[in-house]
Amino acid sequence: MKSLLRQKEFSIFAIIVVISIILSIVSPAFLTIGNLLDVVEGNVVMGILAIGMTLIIITSDIDVSVAAITTAVAVSVGALFSYLPDSWISLAIIFLIAPVIGLLIGSVNGLLVSKIQIPAIVVTLGTLNIINGLVLYFTNGRYLNSTNFPKSFLSFSNVEIFGIPILIFILVFVAILTWYILKHTFIGRSVMAIGGNQQSSIRVGINYQKVKLFVFAYMGFLCGIAAIAQTAYTKAVDPNGLLGLELTVIAAVVLGGTNIHGGRGTIHGTLLGVLLLALIQNGMILARIDTFWQNVVTGAIIVFAVSYDHISYKRQQEKLAKIEVA
Amino acid sequence: MSEFILQMKNISKTFPGVKALDDVELEVKHGEVHALVGENGAGKSTLIKILAGIHKPDAGAQFFFEGNEIEINKPNDATMKGISIIYQDLSLFPNLSVAENIYIGQDSHKRSWNKMNWKKIKNKAEDALNELESDINPNSVVEQLSIAQQQLVEIARALAFDSKLIVMDEPTSSLSSDEVEKLYKVINKLKKRGISIIFISHKLRELFEVSNRFTVLRDGKFVGSYVANQTTEQELIKMMVGRSVTYEKNQSKTEVGETILNVSNFSKKGNFKDISFDLRKGEILGLTGLVGSGRTELAQAIFGVSSPDTGSVKLFDKEISIKNSEQAVKHGIAYIPEARQTQGLVLEQSIVNNISLPVIKKLRNKFKLINRKKEVEIADEYVKTLDVRPPLPELNAEKFSGGNQQKVVIAKWLSADPSVVIFDEPTNGIDIGAKTEIHKLIRRLANDGIGVIVISSELPEILAVSDRILVMRKGRISGDLGVQEATQEKIMNYSLEGSGNVKTNQVANHSDEVTQEV
Amino acid sequence: MKLSKENILGLIALGTFLLMSLIAPGFLGSNNLTNFLFQLPEFGLLALAMMVVILTGGIDLSITYVAALSGVGAALMLTSGFSIIPAILVAILFGVACGAFNGFVISKIGVPAILVTLGTMVLFEGVILAITKGNSISGFGDTYSLIGNGYYMGIIPLPILIFIFFIVLTAILLNKTSWGRSVYMFGNNDVATHFSGIKNSRVLMKVYLYVGLLAAISAIIMTSRYNSVKVDLGSAYLLQSVAAAVLGGANIHGGYGKVMGTVYAVIIFQTISNGLNLLGAHSAIADVFIGGVLILVLTFNFFSDKFKRKKETQASTA
Repeated sequence: MKSLLRQKEFSIFAIIVVISIILSIVSPAFLTIGNLLDVVEGNVVMGILAIGMTLIIITSDIDVSVAAITTAVAVSVGALFSYLPDSWISLAIIFLIAPVIGLLIGSVNGLLVSKIQIPAIVVTLGTLNIINGLVLYFTNGRYLNSTNFPKSFLSFSNVEIFGIPILIFILVFVAILTWYILKHTFIGRSVMAIGGNQQSSIRVGINYQKVKLFVFAYMGFLCGIAAIAQTAYTKAVDPNGLLGLELTVIAAVVLGGTNIHGGRGTIHGTLLGVLLLALIQNGMILARIDTFWQNVVTGAIIVFAVSYDHISYKRQQEKLAKIEVA
Repeated sequence: MSEFILQMKNISKTFPGVKALDDVELEVKHGEVHALVGENGAGKSTLIKILAGIHKPDAGAQFFFEGNEIEINKPNDATMKGISIIYQDLSLFPNLSVAENIYIGQDSHKRSWNKMNWKKIKNKAEDALNELESDINPNSVVEQLSIAQQQLVEIARALAFDSKLIVMDEPTSSLSSDEVEKLYKVINKLKKRGISIIFISHKLRELFEVSNRFTVLRDGKFVGSYVANQTTEQELIKMMVGRSVTYEKNQSKTEVGETILNVSNFSKKGNFKDISFDLRKGEILGLTGLVGSGRTELAQAIFGVSSPDTGSVKLFDKEISIKNSEQAVKHGIAYIPEARQTQGLVLEQSIVNNISLPVIKKLRNKFKLINRKKEVEIADEYVKTLDVRPPLPELNAEKFSGGNQQKVVIAKWLSADPSVVIFDEPTNGIDIGAKTEIHKLIRRLANDGIGVIVISSELPEILAVSDRILVMRKGRISGDLGVQEATQEKIMNYSLEGSGNVKTNQVANHSDEVTQEV
Repeated sequence: MKLSKENILGLIALGTFLLMSLIAPGFLGSNNLTNFLFQLPEFGLLALAMMVVILTGGIDLSITYVAALSGVGAALMLTSGFSIIPAILVAILFGVACGAFNGFVISKIGVPAILVTLGTMVLFEGVILAITKGNSISGFGDTYSLIGNGYYMGIIPLPILIFIFFIVLTAILLNKTSWGRSVYMFGNNDVATHFSGIKNSRVLMKVYLYVGLLAAISAIIMTSRYNSVKVDLGSAYLLQSVAAAVLGGANIHGGYGKVMGTVYAVIIFQTISNGLNLLGAHSAIADVFIGGVLILVLTFNFFSDKFKRKKETQASTA
């Protein structure tokens, strides 16, 4: 299985390579460092959210409230900005408060899923409605531009290290942190275990309610970080900017090889999934394909990928069921 | 120090509407293999789940471990004390490595954020596996292992936990005879280390081979504890069922009529090969062989649930094509699956809806709407003729006992007016009284002119109901016997590899298990 | 007498309605009531469709884009000079075709519905964008606008008649036909139906075809009422329709759900948003309420189930 998983991620990687080759032939602008960095920077938010979503889908749940939570945190941060002095302290405060707000909202999801045992899709639909409603109520849908932002935050968002935008470092940090948790801590292995066989996890005494609470709370925490990234990237707060992003996030995770039946998924696979979706979009812009066709292509790829994945999953199950015939 | 490693006293358990356990006790000595026996539904698994902390007993229960009273309230409590439970369906994580599977669960409540100490985990797993003289690689992923290997991983886990008592629930149910022998060796090794074992099995011969003492449960009540070599099998059976039980070999002389079903050259890769046989009117065809010999796969291919690679089916001398179960039903072929609760019934729906399911399209009026009155009539009729209890067809199927559920599944297929009925393990998990009732019912169908195939692992059952017996081995038909010439030994010879020179004790091992598999 | 889940919900719907008539000014005004009846059906049809999918243990995330695509189909016909009958037929054709596509991948290949419809929602959205270039199409003529704005015999809004027709149709299909029976049985245990000679793939396929039909009808009402169509036609109804089906008692894992439960839930949601609107509340507050009601009801269910189980155990111990 391990080798098969590797294969799966390898095949996404291969598709990415093929697309990249085609794109660099179609448009010489594609294979420039500038363009590639732009592509990655433009998808940092999606990447952060997809990483959190990976853990949730591994436990065979789903969270459709991630874009709403991110927006809620971004709006709160935006509101906070006008009270903050123009100093590095503001930056520290933002980095402290945003993840905490996200964590709290995520914990509410987590409690409802684990303690009250409401299916995750229903819970997160509910919180999505509530959060979006509240955001709309408080902002009236108004776009907040950077005039009120502390200068320190604006200069932070322009920082580049070795020519690489700071946001990319945030994504890398989140990816490594989550990879470490998933791979090398007890709670991370419990996440995998629950996805692999929930009944076994109860029998060996893993507190699966706690693990479920953890994945949703951690998702909220990452939404907080994503909110900072989004605000820094757009230098604005747009209450409608992320509408519907949760579905693209789920698509990226599934493309990256995480199985909706639970128990399988990797952070690097998810990053490849995000990259694949990002490249397709970027490629179509470069290839001057009408932007309106982009969704057609993306949608077709998702349908194709999930079908392909399911067919190979079924084949593998069938193989396991075979018996020895003389 | 107490003579006993474990004592469970005053254990009662009430579920809504049922008293599953009534003042039961269980006492296990140091270093012994203690068998827990009883019919299906006697309360064995409830008792084990209470020990595991999955069910909470009624008030008054007492647990003593090594002489000290202990509390068991949640799943990990027993494990922390040194009790490991190996369930029939195992408690492994298919997506994790062997080493991790062995390690996981150990004081899981403390270490959420702790780093996994991979080196220690791997060493510990290696030690435990070495002790079992196993060459399983601790780095391999569990889903790549065979069932026997997976079981060994569970035992290694128990060792790694420093368990002093290991509970094994039906450990041999999916093992081959070689693997069973190996398991016995492992059990002896554990015993030598002073580890006590609670062993649960249906196969009495097996129990006599491995265990020192028995505790017998019947209908949720404690019958007694006995020393193994002072008890005979017949005595034990009597204690389990409250009377002695043997099946009569089928003596009926049936008039065999025309050929109803002809299967020829059926092959499916990885399932069965070159299967050909006839099924004639009035005859019951027994189909047996070891678990995993391809019996169920063959039956499901005839029923169209899966499709064979080659081969043809003739019904009343006419070749028919069955690509799915819908076509099978149209042609009058019925299949009563072994997994009653998952494949046979929709538990959350009423008996009426279950019985009408295969024929729902025939119960429509001229507006193509379901004729509810007719539907209820049919259900009422079958509930009466098959004596389903309680006779409440509007009740959901989940509320009925195993035997009555099986009757409902049979009713469901009788309503479809079939010409061929295939029964897969028709009395599995049904108590003894209901078993003979089901056997009579099967004979009645055959007398009514329906072609009947009965798949069973219980040889006495096969001998009791069949007129002709097909034996399968590794996906092929290895024997075809009339019931008059058939004996358990002969059937076993055909079932096992290298027929003709089977060791006698092995035969006894497998062939006798039946009378006792209650 | 013991009340069924659905009857309790009906009482809650009545209670909400009475509450709003008391506190919301003009709620019972004829203007508002007709308004209410014009708005309800488009949402109600989508919620019914979603309920049917949920009965099979699935979910259809593409439903509002199926509707929008149907609307675009009708709009294209109308703006190219066809009369309303061909336009309606094309709308239905588009809806059913989308349903067939979903149904094919879900029933034949066996991919979980949530994943398939996640993909097709993006796909259908893309198709609409490719056709409309992101613009809206409008101006459908007076006859077409009657469907969503007209009255039957001068008093009953036409959309509500259409809705009632489909409530009855759905109820008959689900409760009286072999397909409907199979849908419930499939939702409870698809292995058992497979082993009972039911062709699961056909049952599922019909579910998605029917969803396509209902989405198209909803789209016809919406386009007629707004006299225009855009890619986001009805998109706000996606989550609301899931919420309505679940609040209406449908089990998200499949096998249980009643037409009337969903209808009552739709009425509750519509009453809340209409009433809050009259009370001068921000339109977004209705969303908050709907989400809150959904979670509160399920939390309440959880605790009442727990309580009931406890009582049962005690009763049998005693």
